[in-house]
Amino acid sequence: MRFRTTALVAAVAALGLTAGCGAADMTKQASPFANARGSKTVTLSVQSWVGAQSNVAVAQYVLEHELGYRVDTVQVDEVPAWDALSQGRVDALLEDWGHPDQEKRYVADKKTITDAGELGVTGHIGWFVPTYLAKRHPDITDWRNLDKYASLFRTAESGGKGQLMDGSPSYVTNDKALVANLKLDYQVVFAGSEAAQITQMKQFAKDEKPFLTYWYTPQWLSKKVPMTEVRLPPYKEGCDADPAKVACAYPHTPLKKFLNADFAKSGGKAAAFLKKFRWTTEDQNEVSLMIADQRMSPQDAARTWVRGHPEVWKRWLS
Amino acid sequence: MTLTVPTRKPPTDAPVFSVDGLWKVFGPKADRVPADPELSALDAAGLRARTGCTAAVRDVSFDVLKGEVFVVMGLSGSGKSTLVRCLTRLIEPTAGTIAIDGEDVRAMDKGRLRELRRHRAAMVFQHFGLLPHRTVLDNVAYGLEIQGVGRSERRERAAEVVAKVGLEGMEKRRPGQLSGGQRQRVGLARALAVDPEVLLFDEPFSALDPLIRRDMQEEVVRLHREEGRTMVFITHDLSEALKLGDRIALMRDGRVVQLGTPEEIVGSPADDYVRAFVRDVPREQVLTVRTAMRPASAADAAGGPAVRPEATVAEAIEAVARAGTAARVVDAGRCLGVVDSDTLLGVVAGTADPAGPARPDTVPAGAGAPAPAVTAPPGKPGAPGAGPAPAAATPEAASGARTAGAGGRRAPASPTPPRTGTEAI
Amino acid sequence: MATLSVPASRLGADRLLRSRALGKLLLLALFAAVLAPWAAARWPGAAWPHALTVDLSGPLASASDWVVDNRDSHPLFLYFFGYVSNAVVLCVRAVYLTLLAAGWAGVTVFGALVAWRVAGVRLAAGTAAAFLACGALGMWVPTMQTLALMVVAVLASLALGMLLGLAAGLSDRLDRALRPVLDTMQVLPAFAYLLPVVLVFGIGVPAAVLATVVYAAPPMARLTSLGLRAADPGVMEAVASLGATFRQRLLTARLPLARKEIMLGVNQTIMMALSMAVIASMIGAGGLGDRVYQALASVDVGAALAAGIPIVLLAVVLDRVTAAVGERLGEGAEAAPGRTAARRAVLAAVLAAVVLLGRLTGALTWPGGWVADIAAPVNTAKDWMVDHLYSGVPVVGGTADWAAHFTTWVLDPIRDGLQGLPWWALLLVVAAVAWLIGTWRTALTATLAMAAIGVLGVWKPSLDTLSQVLAAVAVTLVIGFGAAVAAARSARCERMLRPVLDVCQTMPQFVYLIPVVALFGVGRAPAAAAAVVYALPAVIRIVGQGLRQVDPGALEAARSLGATGAQQLWQVQLPLARRALLLAVNQCVVLVLAVVVVGGLVGGGALGYNVVFGLAQGDLATGLVAGAAIVCLGLMLDRVTQPVERHVRKGA
Repeated sequence: MRFRTTALVAAVAALGLTAGCGAADMTKQASPFANARGSKTVTLSVQSWVGAQSNVAVAQYVLEHELGYRVDTVQVDEVPAWDALSQGRVDALLEDWGHPDQEKRYVADKKTITDAGELGVTGHIGWFVPTYLAKRHPDITDWRNLDKYASLFRTAESGGKGQLMDGSPSYVTNDKALVANLKLDYQVVFAGSEAAQITQMKQFAKDEKPFLTYWYTPQWLSKKVPMTEVRLPPYKEGCDADPAKVACAYPHTPLKKFLNADFAKSGGKAAAFLKKFRWTTEDQNEVSLMIADQRMSPQDAARTWVRGHPEVWKRWLS
Repeated sequence: MTLTVPTRKPPTDAPVFSVDGLWKVFGPKADRVPADPELSALDAAGLRARTGCTAAVRDVSFDVLKGEVFVVMGLSGSGKSTLVRCLTRLIEPTAGTIAIDGEDVRAMDKGRLRELRRHRAAMVFQHFGLLPHRTVLDNVAYGLEIQGVGRSERRERAAEVVAKVGLEGMEKRRPGQLSGGQRQRVGLARALAVDPEVLLFDEPFSALDPLIRRDMQEEVVRLHREEGRTMVFITHDLSEALKLGDRIALMRDGRVVQLGTPEEIVGSPADDYVRAFVRDVPREQVLTVRTAMRPASAADAAGGPAVRPEATVAEAIEAVARAGTAARVVDAGRCLGVVDSDTLLGVVAGTADPAGPARPDTVPAGAGAPAPAVTAPPGKPGAPGAGPAPAAATPEAASGARTAGAGGRRAPASPTPPRTGTEAI
Repeated sequence: MATLSVPASRLGADRLLRSRALGKLLLLALFAAVLAPWAAARWPGAAWPHALTVDLSGPLASASDWVVDNRDSHPLFLYFFGYVSNAVVLCVRAVYLTLLAAGWAGVTVFGALVAWRVAGVRLAAGTAAAFLACGALGMWVPTMQTLALMVVAVLASLALGMLLGLAAGLSDRLDRALRPVLDTMQVLPAFAYLLPVVLVFGIGVPAAVLATVVYAAPPMARLTSLGLRAADPGVMEAVASLGATFRQRLLTARLPLARKEIMLGVNQTIMMALSMAVIASMIGAGGLGDRVYQALASVDVGAALAAGIPIVLLAVVLDRVTAAVGERLGEGAEAAPGRTAARRAVLAAVLAAVVLLGRLTGALTWPGGWVADIAAPVNTAKDWMVDHLYSGVPVVGGTADWAAHFTTWVLDPIRDGLQGLPWWALLLVVAAVAWLIGTWRTALTATLAMAAIGVLGVWKPSLDTLSQVLAAVAVTLVIGFGAAVAAARSARCERMLRPVLDVCQTMPQFVYLIPVVALFGVGRAPAAAAAVVYALPAVIRIVGQGLRQVDPGALEAARSLGATGAQQLWQVQLPLARRALLLAVNQCVVLVLAVVVVGGLVGGGALGYNVVFGLAQGDLATGLVAGAAIVCLGLMLDRVTQPVERHVRKGA
């Protein structure tokens, strides 16, 4: 009995002590792998598409070889990356396709994330068919004619309907609502990841088979498999406000960078560099192609690009 | 109090264990069974039907005297193992009293009880109960470790005991690498290492091969001869009971049906159950000439070989057959009686009433009468042995035994083992 | 049931069994006859009626918002979760820095020395080779990150599991309360654990470690409790008879007696934790899992393999070493204390020298020149395979054709059948199957779990997942039983299979996705295929063991009567191995479900996709509901296939 009382007292005392020491804010917590062995570390979030990998690869190369940082990369999808960014578990998000809710919450309200300017690349999402198909059936590029060709796009996964192939679940997509609201005879099939989607598209393209897919630009694959966009009802400001009632095309989005607010303030050269990091669609595609098509490692691709374009990245360091 | 009978050992004054009216009932609301005379009178099936309880031990009383080997024997399910566990409250008794050296065991608190288990009574188990992850030496030292004895001291003491039970050179082995007999030697050594007042054996050799069992029995006999430690020995093997026991309590369905020396159990079975039990025992190996002899006539006193009264009938037969005449039973120079081929054959054939011819007049009062079994105070309802008394338990004999009491020492005062030391004179 | 002769009792039991089964069915039929028309009239249509669902997405979404808004201000987070999170980060960081400070040579030598001391020279060589391979694949730093995370997660799991196991092992009441929970946690897919921790801790290492702990602690708790309860009562009595106190009984007898089970628990915990390493990378674990995840996202099979191989190597090495420790404990061999101390000193000196040498030469990080790039050749090989096997292979057809056929001819009919069946009919089927195989209790649990899926409003995707599970289970059982029978009948076959099974069983679930995507593309078929590959080893092993353990006397008797091989198999071996077969089915279902939901990453869709979607979009409501549905599905499938014995045998 006495033993138990002692234990209880000790526990309460310990609790009191730790609590007395103050609060533990887990939102101010770096990754345990950061800043190992004295060198300064920057943690970059990578998204699953190759364009994002290209941004990170080049930024990583410059940070490591020109500025002497260690770079950790973490694979996080965009939305969770906002949360991780806010908590300081990653320092930067280099390619954001527009998340107004998150922007309002973290940048405007909580001020834990800072807007770091535009990436220089403009993104656009849409429905695409391969150009060889568009040449065969010129009228297929209007959404109103899609039902006519639904039988072309039928697969095992889509059942009796035409297949509209979507990619990674992490991407911004209104496709299910669009199919429903435009009353199309189509079934949205998720490939589960962009890579899976690309594999499938390449297979189709090899045999010049017809397919309809959710796609976006800039995308390196467009160089290998030329794609033509299907015209959806035109985008108007606010027509995508209610995700369930969307019946219009996707907007053209200037892609943006975001930094953790603390990192932006005290990140020194690294933060300054990331704020200035800005390149063009062509630059990004060049790196992406090396990674995705020539199967170079992101490091090698970044090295090649950096050697070829000193005039671009020297600007980021000034 | 229970009456004690003289044994072939030197029993000294106070009993080590004194058990009185002990009950162990398993089942729901077990307490009411011993308390309620109606319930306690029921047989096993009746009790189970009425209450859902099982009485493993029913109203058992006995004393264990210092220095004796007290055997509790019975078939499986007779309650003997439960009984021995009640002695140190490994199983909590339901009713009755247990005293060790006069101290009430049931009234002990936890600490006191632990003291009892640590220093006063150690147990040897049928399935050894060794710790498989420890060496032989550490197993033997375990009891000392529990007591808080320092490492080097307990190892030293354990090594002595290991040598005593004949396991030298195996100290570093683990139980898994030993044979059954060796394991039980470890179990024995572990019990001995704490130097207990009483050793409790719970069917220690039942799991062993016959040959090894005999070795181990002899080991126990040897230890007892050397140390004179009090032992309570549980067994289902009658020959083992007869071989080791100074006194035997025979249990059936939780009751003690007869308590007495091996000779009394074999010679005067208390009831048909006991009789059936001992039927196949070679009586000449158990009964002594004291019970077999007839009064000496003048003619007999003259010659023939002399045998001691505690010689077995078998030994007497050999002597008689060699000499070709009757043999005299001589104790301290006095001729107590005579055995001839007729009386001896009567014993072997089981036709003679063994106690009959030997009893009266020739036996000097108080000089060690072959006392009949007296198992419990008469008059208790359902007490074993209270019914038809054993053949020899006439009132006079009983009172004689009572007056003789513990003082009734037997002739060979030296602590010789029961069977091995006797031979024809 | 006192019968005189054996045949009579067998017959009697058979008849009893059949009549009991019939009775159960009749009762259910009666029940259905009353309720089904009413339900059908009230809520027409096959799908779960909308009126009976509870929409949780609103409350869950606001809960998740509340957490995000209050994470840096609410006392619950500041004074509790914050400390937990900080402690995890601190520990992982400390281990990680230690590993880095030791350098690659130090870590390799340390691992080899430990393996040598506990498991002998061969395993020591294997350990060293495994570490060097990790470095050679260019994965040294990710390997160390994963290792640091694993060390912390495993230690925490062991501590938690030990605590729970002690509680359950010593108190009957706690055991009754904990056992069903632990049993259930054991059968749930790792995937289902991710979302709740993310809700509280956000993406990152703390969430990953805690999810791993929650996933990996139950086997330790179960086995510890089992070991404590299985302590030889004879030994415990002997110990009590010597006057040991409660503490002494526990420390000197009960725990040491349970050491084999506890060691097995350690082994299982490590394996579970490692299998979680990759899945946890979805919530920010980093390390090797992250590399696999990244590679998988770009279908870079070569890169995925380069990151997957170190995981497999770690798993195999840790499995063998801990198993060897368990065996050694069982044998109970031990060196003399003096020699051990001396040896330890020598080993420590060797280690210190290596670390120092590493520091002095500045070779702490794996030298960049020593990295072999396997990704490129693997990808070439894969491309060749895809080109030649994927499609249009004469006669047999390509793998893509197989996948398409499997989808149209197997997956679609099952899915449509399930979705076309009225919901109440499906509940009845579940109840009937569970009751026939198990007890009314398992039937009730299974039915309630199934109904809960409907109430959660994910009836349709759940049936989609269920159809994939059923199809994969069927394929697994056919192949697995065939392979096991072959292995049981031919020693050579068994010798060939064993090492393969050994390796397969220690591989994390995720690794199976890589080659499957390469061969079958994306969709439901590859998810099912990965599940088949994952569950196959366990099924083959359990069935094989069951067949081998059949009483040789019975088999000999059958042979002496002139039974053919087939007769022996069908009439003796299979009936006698019934228990093992049922266990195999149960295990198969559980394992298949675990991978089918992970298949959401490669186009499996349904519940797994919802979880991935929930994680990717930060839509915790969708993810949590899907996770709960996976839990219910797992519970239902486990109960439906759970043979009676497991419940009759109480306290074992």
